[in-house]
Amino acid sequence: MNRGVGHLLSRLALHAVLLTIGVIFILPFLWSISTSLKPVSDLFQVKPSLIPSEIRWQNYRDVFDTVPFLRFYLNSIIVTFGRTVGQVALASMAAFAFAQLRFPGRDILFFILLAGLMVPDQVLIVPRFVLMREFNWLNTYQGLIVPLIFSSFGVFMLRQFMLGIPRDFHEAAILEGANPIQVYKDIFLPLAKPALAAFGFLALLASWNEFLWALTVTSSTDMRVLPVGLALFQGQYFTNTAVMLAAANMAMFPLMLAFLIFQKQLVEGVALSGLK
Amino acid sequence: MAETVSAGASGGVLGGRRSRQEAAWGYLLIAPVMLGFAVFFLIALGASFYLSFNKWDMLTSPVFNGLDNYRDVWRDGEFREALVNTLAITIPHIVLRLICAMGLAMALNSNIRFRSFYRMLFFLPVLTMPVAIGTIWKWLYDPAFGPINSFLRRFGLPEPEWLSNPRTAIAAVVIVLLWSGVGYDMVIYLAGLQTIPREYYEAASLDGAGAWQRFRDVTLPLLTPTIFFLSVIGIIYSLQVFDLVYVMTRIDQTNQLPTVVYYIYEEGFRNFRMGYAISVAWVLLLMILVFTFIQFRLQRRWVNYV
Repeated sequence: MNRGVGHLLSRLALHAVLLTIGVIFILPFLWSISTSLKPVSDLFQVKPSLIPSEIRWQNYRDVFDTVPFLRFYLNSIIVTFGRTVGQVALASMAAFAFAQLRFPGRDILFFILLAGLMVPDQVLIVPRFVLMREFNWLNTYQGLIVPLIFSSFGVFMLRQFMLGIPRDFHEAAILEGANPIQVYKDIFLPLAKPALAAFGFLALLASWNEFLWALTVTSSTDMRVLPVGLALFQGQYFTNTAVMLAAANMAMFPLMLAFLIFQKQLVEGVALSGLK
Repeated sequence: MAETVSAGASGGVLGGRRSRQEAAWGYLLIAPVMLGFAVFFLIALGASFYLSFNKWDMLTSPVFNGLDNYRDVWRDGEFREALVNTLAITIPHIVLRLICAMGLAMALNSNIRFRSFYRMLFFLPVLTMPVAIGTIWKWLYDPAFGPINSFLRRFGLPEPEWLSNPRTAIAAVVIVLLWSGVGYDMVIYLAGLQTIPREYYEAASLDGAGAWQRFRDVTLPLLTPTIFFLSVIGIIYSLQVFDLVYVMTRIDQTNQLPTVVYYIYEEGFRNFRMGYAISVAWVLLLMILVFTFIQFRLQRRWVNYV
C-alpha cells in the first residue's frame, strides 16, 4: 500500500518535470506564433505578453509584400521535391545492386562511396561552384538540385536494410525469367517501403532546410529558396519583427505538419539511421 | 561486408552467362550514383586539393603559390578567432547535449504515460529549419523587449546582453543548439536503451542494487557505444555549424560570432580569395579527422562492446 503511494508520487513528480521541460521546449514556437500576430505597438513593451492585444493577420499578408516570398516558397518546393525524389530513386537503385547483386569490384566501389561521408561539404563547395559556372547552371533549378541528389548516406542506409532480405526472393524471380530491374521494382521497392519512407523523410528534411549550397549557387532574388531568403532579408527588408517571424513560421510550417502526421516513421527512421 | 550467400546457379554455361548478366545489371544500377559521385565528389575533391595551393580570385587564372595559403591560415588572426568561437561552441554543446539527452531518454524509457507525446515535444525542434530557429531566438534574446530578459527582470535577476556581447553570445548559441539537438540524441539513446535486456536489471535488483547502482553498473556501460556514436557525429556536425549561428549573431550586417564555416564562405565568396578559402576548408577537414581519430583511439578505454 505504502509502496503504491510512493510509486504514484514519483510518477507524478516525473510527469511534472517532463511537462515543465516540454513547455520550455514548445514556448519558443508559441512565442513566435504570438509575436507574428502582434501589432507593432505590442512589440516594444518592457513587459511583453504571450497574448497579443489584438490579432493582426495582416502581418502574414505583409510578408508577401515585403519580399518575393511566394517565389521563395515555390523555389523551395521545386528544389526539395527534385532532391528528395532524386536521392531516393538513385540511392535505392544503387543500394539494391550493392546488397543483392554480385559483380566484380562491388565492395571496393561501395567502400569508396562510404569514404565520401567523412568529407564535409565546405571542402567541395568551391569546385562545385566552378563546375556550375562552367555548365551555366548558376541561378538555375538544375544547379540547386543536381549536385545534391547523389547520397552516399542513402545508399548506405538502404543497403543496410536490403541486406536483411533473403537472396532467395530474387533468385526465384530470376529463375522465372524476370530481370534485376523488375526484381528491384516489383519485389524490393515494396518490401523496402519502411526504409524508403524513413530515408525519404530525412532527405526531405535536409533539402528543405539546406542553406550553404543554396546560398552559394544562387545570387538572383528570383532563385532564392526559403532559408536563404529569410536569412538575407533580415534587418534590411524585414524592419517589423512581427512580419519577420510570420515569414519564419511559414517557412517551417510545412515540415512541422509533415512531422505531426508521419511522426512515428520519422522518429523510427532517425533511430534506424543512427544505430547502423 | 561481403554477404556470401551460397552461389546459387553459378556452374555451367547458363550460369556463366547469368552471372555476367547480373554483373551488367549491377553496374547499370549503380552507374547514376557512381557517376554523380565521381563528378561532384572525386573530381571536386581533387580540384579542391590542387586549388588550396593556389592564389585565385576566380576572374584570372589560378597562380600556384605552394604552401603560402596554409602558412597564412596558421598566422591568420581572424581564422583563429573563428576557430576559437567554433570550439567554444562545440565543446559545451556536445557535453551538455549528451548528458541532457540521456536524462530525457531514461525518463521516457519507462512505461510512462504520454510517452510519445513527450517524445514529440522534445523532437520537434530537431526538424525545424535552422534559419527559422535563429530568427525566432534572436527575438527571444532581445535584451530590452525579449521575453527571456523580461522573465529575468521580474525576479530581479541580472539581464545579460546575450547576442550583442561576444561572451554571452556563446552561451546563448549553446542554449539554442542544445534545444534544437537534444531530441535527436534522445531518440538514438532510446533506441540504445531498448537493446538492454530486462534480465540484467532484474539480476542487479536481486543482488540488492539500488537505482543509482543499476544506472552505474548496467545502463551506463551498455550505453557507451551509443554515447561514443553520438559524440563522434555530434562533434563532426558542430564543427561545421553555420546557418543558425550566422542568423542569430549577425547584428547590423556585421557578424558578432564568426565560425569557421562562415569564415570559409566569407573569404571565398565575398572577398574572392578562393584558394585561401579552400585551404581553410582543408584545415577544417583535417581537424574533423583528427578529432574523430582521437575519439576512435580513446574508445578502447571506455566503450564496452558486448
